[in-house]
Amino acid sequence: MELDSIQKDALSEFGNIGAAHAATSLSQMLASPIEMTVPEVQAVDIAEMYNYIGSEVSAMVVFQIQGEVEDGGYIVVSMPKETVIRLTNQMLGTTDIDREIDEMDRSAAIEIGNIMISAFLDATAELLGIVMLPSPPALAIDMAHAAFASIVAQMVGDVNDVLIFNTELTSEAPPIYGSIYMLPNPELMQQLSLMLQRLMEPLV
Amino acid sequence: MENNFFSEETAVILGLGEFQVGKCPMGTIGLGSCVALILHDRRRSLAGLAHIMLPESRGSVDRPGKFADTAVSALMEEMERAGGTKFAITAIIVGGASMFEFSANALNIGERNIAAVKSLLLERGIKIEYEEIGGRVGRSVYYWPEGKGHLIIKRADGTCVDI
Repeated sequence: MELDSIQKDALSEFGNIGAAHAATSLSQMLASPIEMTVPEVQAVDIAEMYNYIGSEVSAMVVFQIQGEVEDGGYIVVSMPKETVIRLTNQMLGTTDIDREIDEMDRSAAIEIGNIMISAFLDATAELLGIVMLPSPPALAIDMAHAAFASIVAQMVGDVNDVLIFNTELTSEAPPIYGSIYMLPNPELMQQLSLMLQRLMEPLV
Repeated sequence: MENNFFSEETAVILGLGEFQVGKCPMGTIGLGSCVALILHDRRRSLAGLAHIMLPESRGSVDRPGKFADTAVSALMEEMERAGGTKFAITAIIVGGASMFEFSANALNIGERNIAAVKSLLLERGIKIEYEEIGGRVGRSVYYWPEGKGHLIIKRADGTCVDI
Protein backbone atom coordinates (compact mmCIF):
# COMPACT_ATOMS: atom_id res chain seq x y z
CA MET A 1 0.00 0.00 0.00
CA GLU A 2 1.86 3.06 -1.22
CA LEU A 3 0.42 6.46 -0.49
CA ASP A 4 1.07 9.41 -2.73
CA SER A 5 1.54 12.82 -1.20
CA ILE A 6 -1.99 13.96 -1.99
CA GLN A 7 -3.43 10.93 -0.26
CA LYS A 8 -1.17 11.54 2.71
CA ASP A 9 -2.21 15.16 2.93
CA ALA A 10 -5.87 14.33 2.60
CA LEU A 11 -5.63 11.67 5.28
CA SER A 12 -3.71 13.80 7.70
CA GLU A 13 -6.23 16.60 7.24
CA PHE A 14 -8.97 14.10 7.86
CA GLY A 15 -7.20 12.95 11.02
CA ASN A 16 -6.62 16.53 12.04
CA ILE A 17 -10.34 17.23 12.12
CA GLY A 18 -11.08 14.05 14.03
CA ALA A 19 -8.29 14.57 16.52
CA ALA A 20 -9.24 18.19 17.06
CA HIS A 21 -12.71 17.13 18.11
CA ALA A 22 -11.30 14.41 20.32
CA ALA A 23 -8.94 16.92 21.90
CA THR A 24 -11.79 19.35 22.50
CA SER A 25 -13.84 16.70 24.25
CA LEU A 26 -10.86 15.76 26.42
CA SER A 27 -10.22 19.39 27.19
CA GLN A 28 -13.83 19.88 28.26
CA MET A 29 -13.71 16.84 30.50
CA LEU A 30 -10.54 18.04 32.21
CA ALA A 31 -11.31 21.73 32.04
CA SER A 32 -7.75 22.36 30.87
CA PRO A 33 -6.13 23.16 27.51
CA ILE A 34 -4.92 20.27 25.37
CA GLU A 35 -2.23 20.54 22.71
CA MET A 36 -2.18 18.28 19.70
CA THR A 37 0.33 17.46 16.99
CA VAL A 38 -0.42 17.38 13.28
CA PRO A 39 -1.33 13.77 12.47
CA GLU A 40 1.27 11.59 10.84
CA VAL A 41 0.20 9.06 8.27
CA GLN A 42 2.45 6.17 7.45
CA ALA A 43 2.14 2.90 5.64
CA VAL A 44 4.13 0.55 7.85
CA ASP A 45 5.29 -2.93 6.95
CA ILE A 46 4.13 -5.33 9.66
CA ALA A 47 7.68 -6.60 10.15
CA GLU A 48 8.82 -3.03 10.91
CA MET A 49 6.00 -2.25 13.29
CA TYR A 50 8.12 -2.66 16.39
CA ASN A 51 10.13 0.38 15.26
CA TYR A 52 7.03 2.54 15.56
CA ILE A 53 5.24 0.96 18.47
CA GLY A 54 7.42 -0.12 21.33
CA SER A 55 7.11 -2.67 24.09
CA GLU A 56 6.55 -0.20 26.93
CA VAL A 57 3.44 -0.84 28.95
CA SER A 58 0.51 1.43 28.10
CA ALA A 59 -3.21 1.53 28.55
CA MET A 60 -4.94 1.09 25.21
CA VAL A 61 -8.61 1.53 24.57
CA VAL A 62 -9.54 -0.16 21.33
CA PHE A 63 -12.57 0.29 19.10
CA GLN A 64 -13.55 -1.37 15.92
CA ILE A 65 -14.81 1.08 13.31
CA GLN A 66 -18.32 0.15 12.32
CA GLY A 67 -21.15 1.73 10.42
CA GLU A 68 -21.30 1.98 6.65
CA VAL A 69 -18.32 -0.29 6.31
CA GLU A 70 -19.05 -3.28 8.50
CA ASP A 71 -15.52 -3.79 9.70
CA GLY A 72 -13.57 -0.68 8.86
CA GLY A 73 -10.50 -1.36 10.93
CA TYR A 74 -9.55 -0.19 14.38
CA ILE A 75 -9.01 3.00 16.28
CA VAL A 76 -6.97 3.11 19.46
CA VAL A 77 -6.35 5.60 22.24
CA SER A 78 -3.06 4.85 23.90
CA MET A 79 -1.92 6.40 27.17
CA PRO A 80 0.89 5.71 29.60
CA LYS A 81 -0.23 4.28 32.95
CA GLU A 82 0.59 7.50 34.80
CA THR A 83 -1.70 9.44 32.50
CA VAL A 84 -4.59 7.12 33.27
CA ILE A 85 -4.04 7.60 36.99
CA ARG A 86 -3.81 11.37 36.61
CA LEU A 87 -7.00 11.45 34.57
CA THR A 88 -8.90 9.48 37.20
CA ASN A 89 -7.54 11.75 39.89
CA GLN A 90 -8.57 14.82 37.96
CA MET A 91 -12.09 13.56 37.55
CA LEU A 92 -12.54 12.28 41.09
CA GLY A 93 -10.62 15.04 42.82
CA THR A 94 -8.11 12.60 44.31
CA THR A 95 -4.37 13.27 44.32
CA ASP A 96 -2.53 10.02 44.94
CA ILE A 97 -0.45 9.32 41.83
CA ASP A 98 1.91 6.75 43.25
CA ARG A 99 -0.36 3.74 43.03
CA GLU A 100 -1.27 0.79 40.88
CA ILE A 101 -4.03 0.89 38.26
CA ASP A 102 -7.34 -0.10 39.86
CA GLU A 103 -10.85 -0.81 38.65
CA MET A 104 -11.78 2.87 38.77
CA ASP A 105 -8.84 3.72 36.51
CA ARG A 106 -9.82 1.05 34.06
CA SER A 107 -13.36 2.28 33.75
CA ALA A 108 -12.22 5.91 33.60
CA ALA A 109 -9.79 5.07 30.79
CA ILE A 110 -12.54 3.31 28.86
CA GLU A 111 -14.93 6.18 29.37
CA ILE A 112 -12.44 8.84 28.31
CA GLY A 113 -11.48 6.78 25.27
CA ASN A 114 -15.12 6.35 24.41
CA ILE A 115 -15.89 10.05 24.53
CA MET A 116 -12.79 10.99 22.56
CA ILE A 117 -13.26 8.42 19.84
CA SER A 118 -16.96 9.10 19.48
CA ALA A 119 -16.04 12.74 18.86
CA PHE A 120 -13.32 11.73 16.44
CA LEU A 121 -15.50 9.46 14.34
CA ASP A 122 -18.50 11.76 14.48
CA ALA A 123 -16.54 14.69 13.10
CA THR A 124 -14.78 12.75 10.37
CA ALA A 125 -17.90 10.87 9.31
CA GLU A 126 -19.81 14.10 9.08
CA LEU A 127 -17.11 15.59 6.89
CA LEU A 128 -17.47 12.72 4.49
CA GLY A 129 -21.20 12.30 4.81
CA ILE A 130 -20.99 8.68 5.93
CA VAL A 131 -21.76 6.83 9.14
CA MET A 132 -18.86 5.63 11.25
CA LEU A 133 -19.48 4.34 14.74
CA PRO A 134 -17.16 2.95 17.34
CA SER A 135 -17.78 -0.58 18.62
CA PRO A 136 -18.00 -0.99 22.39
CA PRO A 137 -14.48 -0.36 23.73
CA ALA A 138 -12.01 -2.98 24.86
CA LEU A 139 -9.17 -2.14 27.20
CA ALA A 140 -5.72 -3.66 27.45
CA ILE A 141 -3.00 -2.52 29.81
CA ASP A 142 -0.01 -4.21 28.35
CA MET A 143 2.98 -3.91 26.01
CA ALA A 144 1.90 -1.58 23.24
CA HIS A 145 3.37 -3.73 20.51
CA ALA A 146 1.64 -6.85 21.81
CA ALA A 147 -1.75 -5.14 21.68
CA PHE A 148 -1.18 -3.60 18.27
CA ALA A 149 0.13 -6.86 16.85
CA SER A 150 -3.01 -8.60 18.09
CA ILE A 151 -5.17 -5.96 16.44
CA VAL A 152 -3.23 -6.25 13.20
CA ALA A 153 -3.57 -10.04 13.32
CA GLN A 154 -7.35 -9.59 13.46
CA MET A 155 -7.21 -7.29 10.45
CA VAL A 156 -4.79 -8.73 7.99
CA GLY A 157 -5.16 -11.83 6.01
CA ASP A 158 -2.92 -11.39 3.08
CA VAL A 159 -1.90 -7.81 3.71
CA ASN A 160 1.66 -7.06 4.71
CA ASP A 161 1.43 -3.45 5.67
CA VAL A 162 -0.89 -1.34 7.73
CA LEU A 163 -1.70 2.30 7.64
CA ILE A 164 -0.87 3.93 10.93
CA PHE A 165 -2.22 7.25 11.60
CA ASN A 166 -1.07 8.91 14.74
CA THR A 167 -1.77 12.14 16.65
CA GLU A 168 -0.38 13.02 20.04
CA LEU A 169 -2.37 14.93 22.62
CA THR A 170 -0.68 16.56 25.57
CA SER A 171 -1.52 18.79 28.45
CA GLU A 172 0.85 20.42 30.89
CA ALA A 173 -1.36 20.71 33.90
CA PRO A 174 -2.18 18.00 34.69
CA PRO A 175 0.81 16.49 32.84
CA ILE A 176 -0.87 13.99 30.59
CA TYR A 177 0.04 12.44 27.30
CA GLY A 178 -1.86 10.27 24.87
CA SER A 179 -1.97 9.18 21.25
CA ILE A 180 -4.74 8.30 18.87
CA TYR A 181 -3.98 5.65 16.30
CA MET A 182 -6.22 4.71 13.47
CA LEU A 183 -5.67 1.52 11.51
CA PRO A 184 -8.17 1.56 8.66
CA ASN A 185 -8.47 -1.64 6.67
CA PRO A 186 -7.95 -1.51 2.88
CA GLU A 187 -11.65 -1.14 2.01
CA LEU A 188 -12.23 1.76 4.37
CA MET A 189 -8.94 3.27 3.29
CA GLN A 190 -9.99 3.19 -0.33
CA GLN A 191 -13.36 4.66 0.46
CA LEU A 192 -11.76 7.42 2.49
CA SER A 193 -9.25 8.44 -0.12
CA LEU A 194 -11.92 8.45 -2.86
CA MET A 195 -14.16 10.68 -0.80
CA LEU A 196 -11.33 12.95 0.18
CA GLN A 197 -10.19 13.31 -3.41
CA ARG A 198 -13.69 14.26 -4.36
CA LEU A 199 -13.76 16.86 -1.60
CA MET A 200 -10.51 18.34 -2.80
CA GLU A 201 -11.43 18.59 -6.45
CA PRO A 202 -11.46 22.21 -7.59
CA LEU A 203 -14.90 23.60 -8.18
CA VAL A 204 -15.74 24.23 -11.81
CA MET B 1 18.17 -9.94 36.04
CA GLU B 2 19.98 -7.74 33.56
CA ASN B 3 19.75 -8.82 30.01
CA ASN B 4 22.40 -7.63 27.66
CA PHE B 5 20.54 -8.66 24.56
CA PHE B 6 20.70 -5.40 22.71
CA SER B 7 24.36 -4.89 23.44
CA GLU B 8 25.30 -8.02 21.54
CA GLU B 9 26.32 -7.08 18.05
CA THR B 10 25.04 -10.13 16.30
CA ALA B 11 21.64 -10.13 17.98
CA VAL B 12 18.67 -10.13 15.64
CA ILE B 13 15.28 -8.68 16.49
CA LEU B 14 12.46 -10.08 14.40
CA GLY B 15 9.32 -8.20 13.48
CA LEU B 16 5.84 -9.52 12.92
CA GLY B 17 5.80 -12.38 10.45
CA GLU B 18 9.58 -12.73 10.16
CA PHE B 19 11.76 -15.76 10.78
CA GLN B 20 15.44 -16.45 11.15
CA VAL B 21 17.74 -19.45 11.52
CA GLY B 22 21.25 -19.15 12.86
CA LYS B 23 23.63 -19.27 15.77
CA CYS B 24 23.23 -15.65 16.78
CA PRO B 25 21.00 -14.48 19.65
CA MET B 26 17.48 -13.77 18.44
CA GLY B 27 14.51 -12.08 19.95
CA THR B 28 11.14 -10.65 19.27
CA ILE B 29 9.29 -8.05 21.27
CA GLY B 30 5.67 -7.57 22.12
CA LEU B 31 3.96 -10.89 21.47
CA GLY B 32 0.23 -10.64 21.95
CA SER B 33 -1.87 -13.17 20.13
CA CYS B 34 1.23 -13.94 18.07
CA VAL B 35 3.34 -16.99 18.84
CA ALA B 36 7.11 -17.16 18.97
CA LEU B 37 8.23 -20.60 17.85
CA ILE B 38 11.81 -21.47 18.67
CA LEU B 39 13.36 -24.62 17.25
CA HIS B 40 16.66 -25.63 18.74
CA ASP B 41 19.31 -28.16 17.77
CA ARG B 42 21.49 -28.25 20.85
CA ARG B 43 24.16 -30.42 19.26
CA ARG B 44 24.95 -27.63 16.85
CA SER B 45 24.03 -24.60 18.94
CA LEU B 46 21.66 -23.78 16.13
CA ALA B 47 18.25 -22.22 16.50
CA GLY B 48 15.38 -20.88 14.48
CA LEU B 49 12.82 -18.33 15.56
CA ALA B 50 9.57 -17.29 13.90
CA HIS B 51 7.11 -14.59 14.96
CA ILE B 52 3.88 -16.23 13.84
CA MET B 53 0.78 -14.08 13.44
CA LEU B 54 -1.90 -16.34 12.04
CA PRO B 55 -2.61 -20.07 11.99
CA GLU B 56 -3.11 -20.77 8.28
CA SER B 57 -1.45 -19.42 5.16
CA ARG B 58 -4.29 -20.42 2.84
CA GLY B 59 -1.83 -20.59 -0.04
CA SER B 60 0.02 -17.35 0.64
CA VAL B 61 3.78 -17.84 0.25
CA ASP B 62 5.41 -14.41 0.32
CA ARG B 63 5.91 -14.30 4.10
CA PRO B 64 6.49 -17.79 5.42
CA GLY B 65 7.13 -16.56 8.97
CA LYS B 66 3.67 -15.04 9.26
CA PHE B 67 1.63 -18.25 9.30
CA ALA B 68 2.00 -21.31 11.49
CA ASP B 69 2.01 -23.87 8.68
CA THR B 70 4.52 -22.10 6.44
CA ALA B 71 6.69 -21.02 9.38
CA VAL B 72 7.14 -24.58 10.65
CA SER B 73 8.13 -25.84 7.19
CA ALA B 74 10.41 -22.89 6.50
CA LEU B 75 12.17 -23.18 9.87
CA MET B 76 12.68 -26.94 9.49
CA GLU B 77 14.05 -26.56 5.96
CA GLU B 78 16.46 -23.82 6.97
CA MET B 79 17.54 -25.71 10.07
CA GLU B 80 18.30 -28.81 8.03
CA ARG B 81 20.13 -26.78 5.42
CA ALA B 82 22.24 -25.27 8.19
CA GLY B 83 23.21 -28.73 9.39
CA GLY B 84 20.51 -29.41 11.96
CA THR B 85 19.11 -32.91 12.23
CA LYS B 86 15.45 -33.49 12.74
CA PHE B 87 15.70 -35.87 15.67
CA ALA B 88 17.88 -33.45 17.64
CA ILE B 89 15.48 -30.55 17.26
CA THR B 90 13.21 -29.51 20.11
CA ALA B 91 10.73 -26.67 20.27
CA ILE B 92 9.82 -23.83 22.60
CA ILE B 93 6.57 -21.94 22.16
CA VAL B 94 5.69 -18.63 23.75
CA GLY B 95 2.74 -16.29 23.30
CA GLY B 96 -0.77 -16.82 22.03
CA ALA B 97 -2.36 -14.56 24.63
CA SER B 98 -5.77 -13.04 24.20
CA MET B 99 -5.44 -9.34 24.79
CA PHE B 100 -8.95 -8.16 24.05
CA GLU B 101 -12.38 -9.58 24.12
CA PHE B 102 -14.00 -8.55 20.92
CA SER B 103 -17.26 -9.73 19.43
CA ALA B 104 -17.86 -13.44 19.81
CA ASN B 105 -17.55 -14.19 16.10
CA ALA B 106 -13.93 -13.10 16.02
CA LEU B 107 -12.42 -16.41 17.06
CA ASN B 108 -9.54 -16.18 19.41
CA ILE B 109 -6.46 -15.89 17.23
CA GLY B 110 -4.05 -16.61 20.07
CA GLU B 111 -5.64 -19.97 20.85
CA ARG B 112 -5.86 -20.86 17.19
CA ASN B 113 -2.19 -20.01 16.69
CA ILE B 114 -1.17 -22.23 19.59
CA ALA B 115 -3.35 -25.11 18.42
CA ALA B 116 -1.97 -24.85 14.88
CA VAL B 117 1.67 -24.75 15.98
CA LYS B 118 1.22 -27.66 18.41
CA SER B 119 -0.46 -29.91 15.90
CA LEU B 120 2.18 -29.13 13.27
CA LEU B 121 4.96 -29.98 15.71
CA LEU B 122 3.21 -33.18 16.70
CA GLU B 123 2.86 -34.19 13.04
CA ARG B 124 6.58 -33.83 12.59
CA GLY B 125 7.40 -35.55 15.86
CA ILE B 126 9.12 -32.51 17.36
CA LYS B 127 9.08 -32.45 21.13
CA ILE B 128 7.99 -29.30 22.93
CA GLU B 129 10.61 -28.68 25.56
CA TYR B 130 9.06 -25.60 27.13
CA GLU B 131 5.95 -23.54 26.65
CA GLU B 132 4.48 -20.40 28.09
CA ILE B 133 1.23 -19.73 26.36
CA GLY B 134 -2.23 -18.24 26.67
CA GLY B 135 -3.34 -15.86 29.37
CA ARG B 136 -3.90 -12.16 28.89
CA VAL B 137 -0.39 -10.84 29.06
CA GLY B 138 2.02 -9.60 26.38
CA ARG B 139 5.52 -11.06 26.28
CA SER B 140 8.94 -10.46 24.77
CA VAL B 141 11.26 -13.35 24.01
CA TYR B 142 15.05 -13.50 23.77
CA TYR B 143 16.98 -16.63 22.87
CA TRP B 144 20.65 -17.52 22.83
CA PRO B 145 21.19 -20.74 20.84
CA GLU B 146 24.52 -21.67 22.35
CA GLY B 147 24.74 -25.11 23.95
CA LYS B 148 21.54 -26.02 25.71
CA GLY B 149 20.10 -22.66 24.80
CA HIS B 150 19.20 -19.79 27.04
CA LEU B 151 15.70 -18.32 27.05
CA ILE B 152 14.43 -15.14 28.63
CA ILE B 153 10.76 -14.26 28.60
CA LYS B 154 9.74 -10.81 29.76
CA ARG B 155 6.12 -10.23 30.61
CA ALA B 156 4.30 -6.94 30.44
CA ASP B 157 3.79 -6.91 34.21
CA GLY B 158 7.55 -6.81 34.61
CA THR B 159 8.15 -10.42 35.61
CA CYS B 160 10.81 -12.44 33.86
CA VAL B 161 11.51 -16.09 33.19
CA ASP B 162 15.12 -17.12 32.72
CA ILE B 163 15.87 -20.64 31.55
